[in-house]
Amino acid sequence: MILVIVEQREGKLNRVSWETLTAGQAIAAETGWPLEAAVVGGSVAAIAAEVAGKKVAKVSAVESAKLEPYTPDSFAAALKQFIESKQPKLVLMPHTYQVRDFVPKLATAMGRTVISDAIGYKKEGEKMVFTRQMFQGKFVADVSFAGDAPWFVTFQNGAFRGDKVEAGAAAAPVETVAVEIADGVVRNKPQEVFKEAKQAVDLTQAEVIVAVGRGIKEQKNIEIAKQLAEALGGELAASRPICDSGWLPMDRQIGSSGQTVAPKLYLALGISGAIQHIVGMKGARTIVAVNKDSEAPIFEIADYAVVGNLFEVVPPLIEEIKKAKAGA
Amino acid sequence: MLIHVGEAWADDPVFNETLRRRQESFVKILVCMKQVPQKDAPLKLNEGGTWIREDVSYEVNEPDAYALEEALRQKEKHSGEVVVITSGPARASQVLREALAKGADRAIHLEDNAFVGLDAYNTARAFAAAIKDEKFDLIFTGLQSDDYGYAQTGVILAELLGWPHATIIMQIEKQDAGIRVKRELEAGFFQFVDMPLPAVLTIQSGINKLRYATLIGIKQAKNKPMRKVTMAEVQTAIGENLQKIEKLYIPQKTKKTEMIQGSPGEMAKKLVEKLRNEVRVL
Amino acid sequence: MLVFRTPLENIDRPQMEADVVIVGGGPAGMACALRLSQLIDEHNSKNPDAPLSKENIYVLEKAREIGQHCLSGALLDPRSMRELLPGFEKEAPLDAQCNKEGVYFLTKNGKFKLPITPPPLRDHGNYVISINKFVKWLGSKVEETGITIFTGFAGSQLLYDGNRVAGVRTDDKGVDKENHPKSNFEPGYDLKAKITILAEGTRGSLTKELINKFDLAKDRNPQTYGVGVKELWEVPSGRIAPGEVIYTMGWPLTTKKYGGAWIYGSKDNLVSLGFVIGLDYPDPRLDPQHVLQDFKQHPFVAKLLEGGKMIRYGAKSMPYGGWWAVPPVAGDGWMILGDSAGLVNSQRLKGIHLAIKSGMLAAETAFEALKKNEASAATLNEYQKKVDSSWIKDELWKVRNFHQAFEKGFLNGMFHAGLQQFTGGRGLWNRYPAHAGHERMEKLSQLPADGGSEAHLLGPAKGDGKLTFDKLTDLYHSGTKHEEDQPSHLVIADTNVCNARCAKEYGGPCQNFCPANVYELVDDATQPHGKRISLNPANCVHCKTCDIADPYQIITWVPPEGGGGPNYDGM
Repeated sequence: MILVIVEQREGKLNRVSWETLTAGQAIAAETGWPLEAAVVGGSVAAIAAEVAGKKVAKVSAVESAKLEPYTPDSFAAALKQFIESKQPKLVLMPHTYQVRDFVPKLATAMGRTVISDAIGYKKEGEKMVFTRQMFQGKFVADVSFAGDAPWFVTFQNGAFRGDKVEAGAAAAPVETVAVEIADGVVRNKPQEVFKEAKQAVDLTQAEVIVAVGRGIKEQKNIEIAKQLAEALGGELAASRPICDSGWLPMDRQIGSSGQTVAPKLYLALGISGAIQHIVGMKGARTIVAVNKDSEAPIFEIADYAVVGNLFEVVPPLIEEIKKAKAGA
Repeated sequence: MLIHVGEAWADDPVFNETLRRRQESFVKILVCMKQVPQKDAPLKLNEGGTWIREDVSYEVNEPDAYALEEALRQKEKHSGEVVVITSGPARASQVLREALAKGADRAIHLEDNAFVGLDAYNTARAFAAAIKDEKFDLIFTGLQSDDYGYAQTGVILAELLGWPHATIIMQIEKQDAGIRVKRELEAGFFQFVDMPLPAVLTIQSGINKLRYATLIGIKQAKNKPMRKVTMAEVQTAIGENLQKIEKLYIPQKTKKTEMIQGSPGEMAKKLVEKLRNEVRVL
Repeated sequence: MLVFRTPLENIDRPQMEADVVIVGGGPAGMACALRLSQLIDEHNSKNPDAPLSKENIYVLEKAREIGQHCLSGALLDPRSMRELLPGFEKEAPLDAQCNKEGVYFLTKNGKFKLPITPPPLRDHGNYVISINKFVKWLGSKVEETGITIFTGFAGSQLLYDGNRVAGVRTDDKGVDKENHPKSNFEPGYDLKAKITILAEGTRGSLTKELINKFDLAKDRNPQTYGVGVKELWEVPSGRIAPGEVIYTMGWPLTTKKYGGAWIYGSKDNLVSLGFVIGLDYPDPRLDPQHVLQDFKQHPFVAKLLEGGKMIRYGAKSMPYGGWWAVPPVAGDGWMILGDSAGLVNSQRLKGIHLAIKSGMLAAETAFEALKKNEASAATLNEYQKKVDSSWIKDELWKVRNFHQAFEKGFLNGMFHAGLQQFTGGRGLWNRYPAHAGHERMEKLSQLPADGGSEAHLLGPAKGDGKLTFDKLTDLYHSGTKHEEDQPSHLVIADTNVCNARCAKEYGGPCQNFCPANVYELVDDATQPHGKRISLNPANCVHCKTCDIADPYQIITWVPPEGGGGPNYDGM
C-alpha cells in the first residue's frame, strides 16, 4: 500500500500535497499497489473530506489534541503509531520545511530511512528507484532502498503536477484515527506563527522568477520587469552586471557568484546567457528568454524563445497576463 | 573552570555573583561539520558511475560554517566550549583545523575513507557513538550539505540521543529553563519555540557574517586537541546502509526550443497561452 | 562610484614577531622554506643545546589553498630539485618525462617542422609537470617539517624602519566595497620580521613597491614581460603521447610580434597548451585570449583537440627581461626570489628550476643570519653574492641579450639569437638595451582602422563553444572567485585618464589585454568620449597583465582579500 501524508497548517491544506498525491496515483497505477492518504492534526475532518474527493482508496484523519500546534515530537509519535498499524510499503510526503523537521525523526524511530527531495521515480523490475539531484543540481542520482518497508520518500516542490491529480469517481471513505500521545512526549513549546519582512530575499523559494540582464539598458527600465514579476506573482532577479552596478541588491543575483535557483518558470529578459549566469538557473523547469540577439547563448537552454526587443514585448505581455488572470 | 582568587576578591558579592552566573551559563556545544567538493569545482563521475572522482578541491560545507559561527557567538556570550566533529578521510581534518583556528576548542575526527559512503543514518550513529562520553548542552548542524542536500543528519542524531530538536534556526536565546529559538517557516513566516536542554538545532545559513581566522588563531589551532576516532571504534554502532545510490549521472535535458514569433502583441498572446496551458503558472 | 582598496588607517593592528617571513608559496617560496628547515634540522641535531626554532618562520600564501594560484606550462628542469631533495623523482608528482620534441613554424593552414630542434628547446631529461600539483606536494613537505604556511593571507604592504624593511603587513579582511569595515572585519597583522623574503611570482606587488622605493632598477634594463594564456584539455586517447613537447612560432602572429605556443602531452590524456605573447605589441586592440583561440583553429591543433574537452583556463604574465633586468636581490632586511626577481631563462622558456635554486640560496643566507641573529644588508648580501656565483648566473648570462633583439621583430631577434649562441650570449654588444613594453603600444590614430594584417587578433573572440571559446566562458573555467563585497584591488590612479584620454587614444586596451574580463568601457553620455571605465574585480585571475601593459601606467594591482583568486587545479 502507498500512503500519502497530506500536509495541513493551522487547518488549511497545503496545496503542494496535491503534487504528492499525483505522484502516489502514478506509482499506484504502475505497481498496482492500493493508494491511501492521511491528514495529521488536531481536528482535520474537513481537510480529510477534501482529500477524499480525489482518487484514493481511503483517507485517514489522524487526530489528537496534542497535534495542534505542530511539533516534531507529536507528529513523529502519532505517525509512528499510525504507520505501524497500517504497514504501508511506501510513505510519500512533500519536501516542505515542516516535513524536513520531523520525517527523519519518524523514520529513525522506526529504524527506517528517508530518500528526501526526490524529483521522480522509476520502477526497475521489482525495485522502486527514486531520482534526486546531487551537488546542487550538477548530477542526479538514482537511489534505492536497501532495507525493509516502510520506505519514506519526500518529493521536491514542483516535481509533480498538482493540477493533474485525479478526482475519484465517488468520495473515498474517511476514517478518524485517534492516536495516543503520552504526557512528556512533546518537549517543544511553539509560540504563535508570525510574518516578518525578511531581511534578504530567498530566491530559491520562488516559483516564478523574472530576471533582467544588460539588455535592460538603464536602471529605470527595471520597473517594467518588476511589473511583470508582480503580474506573475513572482520575484525579481538579475544577472551579475546589474547587481554590480548597484541597480538591484546583491541578494537578487543569480549565477555562479549569486544564488542557484530551480523555479517553475524563469523569464530571462535581456540576458545573453553567459555560462556564469546559466549555471545558476539551468535547473529551472521552464525557461523563457527574451533577447533581441538571435545568437544569444541563452536560447540554447530556453524552452520558449522570444527573439525581439524586450521593451516592445514586455508591456503587451503584462497586459495579456493580467487579462488571463482576471478572465478564467 | 577553576579561578584562583586573592583573598580580597573572595568575599566580594558582586564578583561571586558574576562568577556564579558565568559558571552556570557555561555552555558546551558540538558542531557537526562536513567537507564537500568546492562549489564551482568541475566534478567528474568515477569509473563505476556511482560517485564522483575524488581528485577535486574541497572546502567546508557552507551551511556548517554558519552553524560554527553561531556556536562561537554563543560561546562568546555565555562562556563555554565549542567542539567540532567530522567524519571522512584525512583531508577532512582541514575543516576541523579551520574551525579550531576560528576559535573552536577541540576537534574530533572520525577518520577513514569508508565514512564517505555512509548514509545519514549511519553517520549520525557513528557520531552518537563517538560522543557517548561527552556531555553537550547543544548540538548544531548546518541546514543541509551542499553535496547530498538531504538535511537529515541533525534530526536523526536528535532522535538517536533522545533529545528535542528544531530545524532552520535563525536565532537562539538562553532562558532560565532552556532556550528560545526562532524558526524559519516558508513564505516569510517565523515562529519562536521554547525548548529544554540538551537539544539539537539545525542552523539557517546567512544569519551572521562569518568571521575570519586570524594568524594567531591558526597558530594556536596547531596545539588544540584533535581526537582521532577509527572506524573500528564505532563499527558496532553502525550497520548496513539503508539506501543505496544505484547510479550517479549528468541530467540529460532533451530540450526543444520553441520559437515564439509574430509582432510583439502576437508574441505576448502566444506566450501567455503557453504559460497558461503548458507551463501552468497562470 | 569606484572605490579602490587602500589599507585602513588609524586602526589597531595585531603585532606578531617573526624571524623570517616568506611572501608567496610558489616554487621559490616553498623551496626556500624547505631548505631553511633542512639547515635548521641539521644544525639542531649537531647543537642540541642551542637549537634554532622554526616557530617564527612563516610563509604567506594569498590563495585559499597551496598551489591554487600557480600556473605554468610546465616543463621542469630537475637540476635544482635534485640538489634540494635528492631522489625527489620517486615521490614528486611528475606527469611525464619529455621524450619527443618538435618545433614548428606555422602558416595559416600549414606547418613546417624545424629539422633540428634548437638546443635551448631540447627537453630530454626534463619533466612535464603541473606546477599546481607540484607546489601542493612541495608545500606538504614544508608543512611536515613544521614551518607554518598561512593560506588565505596576502602580503599587502611592506613595513619599514627607516631604510630597513622590517616586515610585512597582511591584508585587511572584511572591508566592504566602500572601504569601510564590515561587522566581521579583521585588521591585517603587522608581521615584524628580521628577514623578509619576497617570492611573489611575476610582477610581485611588494617587489614593485620595494623597487620603486629604493630605485633598485636604476642601473638595470626595464623589466619586460609576456603573458601566457593557457587551457588544459582532455583529449581522446592516442592523440598525443605523454612527454611529447611541441613549440610553435609564426601563425597566428605576424613577424612583428614576439610569441609562440606550447603543447605538452601529459598523462591521463591531458594536454597542456597555451600561447605566450610579449606585452610589447603595438596594437591596443590585440586580445591575447583571442590569439589562443585563433591558434587552436589551425588544422594541426584543431585535429589534436577534436572531440576533446577544455577543462581549465588561466593566464599569467612572465618576466622576459633576462639578466640585465634583474634588480639587486638583497638589501637591508630583504631578499627577492624567482620570478619576482626576474630569474627566468626566456630562451629556454624556463624559470621554475631557477626559482627553486634562488630559494635555496636565500635559505642558506637566512640560516646564517639566524645563527648570527642579525640580518643587516651586509649579511643578506651574501645571497646576492651566491646568486652571482651560482649556475643561475651562468645560465642567465648566456641568454642575457636574448629577448631584447626581438623588439625589432622576429627575424631580427632570430639573427641576434643565432649570434649570441656562438658568443656566450654577447651577440654584437655585451648589453643590449630594452624598452618597457607598455611604451611600445601605439595609439589608434597611428594604426589602420580595420587592424590591417592583425585584424584576426583584435577584439574579443566569439568562440564556437567546442574548440574555441569567448572570454567569459573560458574565464568560468579558471574557477576564479572573490569575496564580492570588497573594494577594487585594481587601483587606478586617476579614472579621468581612462575616460577622457584612453577611451579615445587607445580605445581602452585593458578590455583586450586582460584575460579575465575585469575591465570594461561602458556607455556613459556624461563622459567626454561617451565611455566610462567599469570594473569587475571579482573576475581577476591575478596575472598582473594590467599592471604591466597599461600604456599610462596608472593601474596598480594590489592583493585582494586573501583567499580569493583563481583555482588552478591541475594547471
